[in-house]
Formats: sequence, structure tokens, C-alpha cells
Amino acid sequence: MSTQLIPRGIRKSSAIITIAAANVAQNLFLESVGPTVNRTVILRKIFAYSNIGNVTITIGIGLAPLVAIIPPFYVLNTLDMQLTENEIPEVEVFANLTVQATILGCMVQVEVEEVGS
Amino acid sequence: MAKELHTYKAGPIEQVVMPGENVGIWVNKTYEFYKVDFVEPITRSDPVTIDLGALAALAQSNVVQITLLQMPDLEFAQLRMEALDDVSIILYQGRADQRHKLQNVVSTITRFNPLYDPCGHQTEFYEFEDNYIFLQATNQTAYALTQARVVFWGFRYVLTYQPNYNAKGQQPDVWTRIPATAHL
Repeated sequence: MSTQLIPRGIRKSSAIITIAAANVAQNLFLESVGPTVNRTVILRKIFAYSNIGNVTITIGIGLAPLVAIIPPFYVLNTLDMQLTENEIPEVEVFANLTVQATILGCMVQVEVEEVGS
Repeated sequence: MAKELHTYKAGPIEQVVMPGENVGIWVNKTYEFYKVDFVEPITRSDPVTIDLGALAALAQSNVVQITLLQMPDLEFAQLRMEALDDVSIILYQGRADQRHKLQNVVSTITRFNPLYDPCGHQTEFYEFEDNYIFLQATNQTAYALTQARVVFWGFRYVLTYQPNYNAKGQQPDVWTRIPATAHL
């Protein structure tokens, strides 16, 4: 399988988000809202780490409830987990990205491509 | 066949005229005529990068006079620019005269421009002597930006005034129009 990585937008990354509460969604990446015509966000890379136990992490949109945009993924304790753009469906959303996890204290960071003008 | 030189030319930036050729520079709502004596590059570099300052989420800067790009007497600059941060930039030539405008809106320069215009030719503008450009930046993001940087590159042209020519009278046989202001 090959993926054509023709740039459609500009790359940005989120801050390193530490999950504050188990099974409670929180913001992961804030979409830019300045342009008159909305931008969209494509999730490109995910980096996650836990040292407080195995954890299931879900990335999606919305806070209550979080609606997943890719299947949840499992992170083993003390093993970092990376997914790159070859491995992630090219899901394009018009919303902030949010994240929730089954235990608090694990960390997630994403790289996105913002499409717009 | 001579190489074609012209303003806003697509591709890596090239000078618009050769030394010894004539230009008509649009200032004061008319063309003034000069002969080009000397041309040299202005490299894309730190000294020709400006920071329009920190901007809160969605905030807009003042219209900032870019004295950094002032040219000496009898010189003009051909410059392209690129926004380095996620802001949209409006170019003014004359504090109240926006460039790149349609009837009702003004197009802007953003971080997206290099995606479809890698050479930046659509950002090209011309500045004559102290006819300053002005820039205004708007934060496109939902979070504060600590800086709003714009970088420039291009050429400077050293000129000799040609008093025998004027727009309503005799003109050189061949001359290049330089749109150095937005006064129309």
C-alpha cells in the first residue's frame, strides 16, 4: 500500500495533552476559526504514552459526548505508541479534536493538517 | 530571442529590467521615467524579516508602516513576501490604499500561499523611495500568537531621473511599467 502525501494544507501540532480525568473528553487540538470560510482538520500523526497502566485512548470531536473519528487504540504501559499518516484514515473534520482515555495521567500529542486559506 | 522580463512573473524571482533600460514608475497618480543604472538582489534573510507583534486569538494588528523597507532616493525595490505565522496579511501602499483588492473584498497573504504559489510571484510588489508599504496582520487561529512574521526578498534598482520624458508627452520607445503605489 502506498499513500500519496500531497500537501493540502499547513501542518500544526497540538500541545502534549495529559489526560486529566478517566473517560472524560478534553480538547486536544483547537481548530483555527479566524478565516471567513471555515478550515478543516485532518489528523496526520499520533504520539501517545502511558506510565500509569495500559490504556485505551479515543480521538474524536465533541466533548459531551466525544464522537470517535478513528477506532480507539490501546497503549501498553511504558511503551510509547506512534501512528503516522500512512496508518491513519484521512478523516477530515470541521471541529476541534478531542481525546479521552480510560485512565488519567497518560499523554497524547497529534500532528494535523489544516485545510483552508 | 531576448528573455522576457515582466512584473509579477511566475517562477523564482527575476529582475524586471536590465541595467540601461527604462522604467516608468507609477507614483503620484502618473508615471515618472527613470533609467536603471544598477540592480542587485535583496536576499531572503533576517534583516528583511518583520514581526508585526503578538496577537490574541482572532485579533487584528494596527496598520503598520514598514520603515524597514525604506529605499534611498532614486531607488526602488521589487519584493515578494511570505507569512511565516498563521496570520493573514493585508498589503497597503499608502496607509489607506489596499493592494490585491476586488470590488468588495481584499485578498490576503497567508501561510497557505506557498502551497500553490511556491515562488511567491502573486505577492510581488514594488516600493519607490520612501513610499512605504503598510501591513496589517490578523490572527487566524483560536489561540494567541506570540509573533506575526513576514519575510521579504527581491531586488533593488538604482535609477537616474529622465526629466525629458513624461506620461503626457514624450516617452521612451521601450519602457517597463512599475506599479509602485496603489493610488489610482
